[in-house]
Amino acid sequence: MKSWTRREFGRLTGAALLTALNQPKARGQAKARVVVIGGGIGGATVARYLAASATAIEVTLVEPRQSYATCFFSNLYLAGLRPFESLSHGYEALAKQNGIIVVHESAAAIHPAAKTVALSNGSKLSYDRLVVAPGIAFRDRALEGYDEAAMEIMPHAWNAGQQTRLLRQQLESMEDGGLFVLVAPPNPFRCPPAPYERASLVASYFQRRKPKAKILILDAKDSFNAQDLFQDAWNRHYPGMIEWLPAQFTGGVTAVDAKTRSVITAGATFKAAVANVIPAQMAGRLAQQAGLANRSGWCPVDPVTFESALQPGVHLVGDAIIGGDMPKSAFCANSQAKACAFAIAADLTGSARLPAHLFNTCYTYLAPDDAFSNAISFKPVDGKLKSVISFVSKVEESSEVRRQAARAAEGWYDAFTHDVFG
Amino acid sequence: MRPVARSAIATGLVLLFSQSGAAAGPDQGAQLAATCASCHRLDGGGTGIPSIIGLGEERLTNALLAYRASESPNHIMHVIALSLSDEEIASVARYVAKQGSNPR
Ligand SMILES: Cc1cc2nc3c(=O)[nH]c(=O)nc-3n(C[C@H](O)[C@H](O)[C@H](O)COP(=O)(O)OP(=O)(O)OC[C@H]3O[C@@H](n4cnc5c(N)ncnc54)[C@H](O)[C@@H]3O)c2cc1C
Repeated sequence: MKSWTRREFGRLTGAALLTALNQPKARGQAKARVVVIGGGIGGATVARYLAASATAIEVTLVEPRQSYATCFFSNLYLAGLRPFESLSHGYEALAKQNGIIVVHESAAAIHPAAKTVALSNGSKLSYDRLVVAPGIAFRDRALEGYDEAAMEIMPHAWNAGQQTRLLRQQLESMEDGGLFVLVAPPNPFRCPPAPYERASLVASYFQRRKPKAKILILDAKDSFNAQDLFQDAWNRHYPGMIEWLPAQFTGGVTAVDAKTRSVITAGATFKAAVANVIPAQMAGRLAQQAGLANRSGWCPVDPVTFESALQPGVHLVGDAIIGGDMPKSAFCANSQAKACAFAIAADLTGSARLPAHLFNTCYTYLAPDDAFSNAISFKPVDGKLKSVISFVSKVEESSEVRRQAARAAEGWYDAFTHDVFG
Repeated sequence: MRPVARSAIATGLVLLFSQSGAAAGPDQGAQLAATCASCHRLDGGGTGIPSIIGLGEERLTNALLAYRASESPNHIMHVIALSLSDEEIASVARYVAKQGSNPR
């Protein structure tokens, strides 16, 4: 193996890293193989940091799609504030700069005893360690009438892509004065503030283009994340436009009728011009099939190594896990992925493991120039990830502070997507 | 800082683990800097979030100590800095100070 001098490494930034990381192939020594399933935020980060951690590890990333569209910032796209293309990220840099083998297939099955993954094209991959980061799936029959056909009429837009474009088209072609109904899911779900950020940014779009339109949020919960910050902003920016109905008031959403674009609660039927139905969630399908999820529908893991509590040798990160106090966010997925990559690399290279640092940081838009932020640190305590320190923006902050946060959010998007996709 | 980490830094700025046989060990500064990279581009690019490249070890250390001491002016950096020990602050500052410049 090539040994590096400090000076050589000092020059290894950007494109130089590309050649450098591809060069040092271990000769006469088998590399440890890590397969990562899912090239979303968690999976791409694990792959990238593992590949950079140790040249003695060969990393294969399995992801069916040619490019990934971020859910974060997709609410800005829905409000007409960002082109869809700006949300899209390819896998070329991961392959070229980091030497990751990217396989554009779907993983069909995992065989932990044989340590193989079966791909949908019939081929097989062997691994020494497996990382599974499949994101979320929607719970079957959570809402009567909400099947695949209904999703094409009342989109969820909770995985970014065609669904997000569909919802944007519907919002654009909606007449002024129309009713936009947003069905918010029960806990736990992907990105706790995101349904309410979506309502806020759609309201900003309506205010500009369809000032007589109304927004109705039918919630499966009786309270929600950062509620005081949202409700304060709704009163300031969009008075009278957004109505939020908690479950205790409606009895909860029980069904939808796609034919009439209606949302049905225990006591009433709401006919929408545009309906965004975000159903109850669970870990991605593959995790369910592979026996990685428990009865909660989510995957229990060791909070230090992110190894499955149910299948040794298989690690999980991101929305699919039961993260203790860690919310299901891209930032958490990225933070868990680094800890997981360092733990796997330490194991495979026989080196010491350092204490992990786990965080969530989130910027949330209330209006195009009004964003708030929060930050939480986490530590493993008694087998669970516990929040240690937490700060969130305050209702009485100045508009200048909020404007700065909205600008910082754009910088975060740029840096974060570089960190994940290279 | 522990000798393991020092020898790792001496052999590599990019790999997060040293590859040099007996001295193999994780690079504490690099692993901590992975946290920075979630918001700050380590190639010095980007806008909206202040760059941490080209500041020098002492300024980085002092900034982290100040963030640790107070919630103002930035609660995000306060939470990050509160999670770091003195030793960790020293090692991440040393690592980040070497990024994007021409280290000797
Ligand atoms: C509207 C909205 C706004 C959001 N805003 C923010 C925000 O501001 N900040 C933030 O931190 N988070 C935000 N999030 C949350 C964030 O998007 C998720 O938490 C994050 O994407 C989780 O990462 P993941 O890797 O677990 O899943 P994903 O990113 O969904 O990745 C899963 C990947 O696995 C692949 N996959 C699935 N099954 C298989 C299989 N069998 N074989 C191969 N590949 C497979 C999928 O194709 C996908 O690419 C937001 C979410 C939404 C919906």
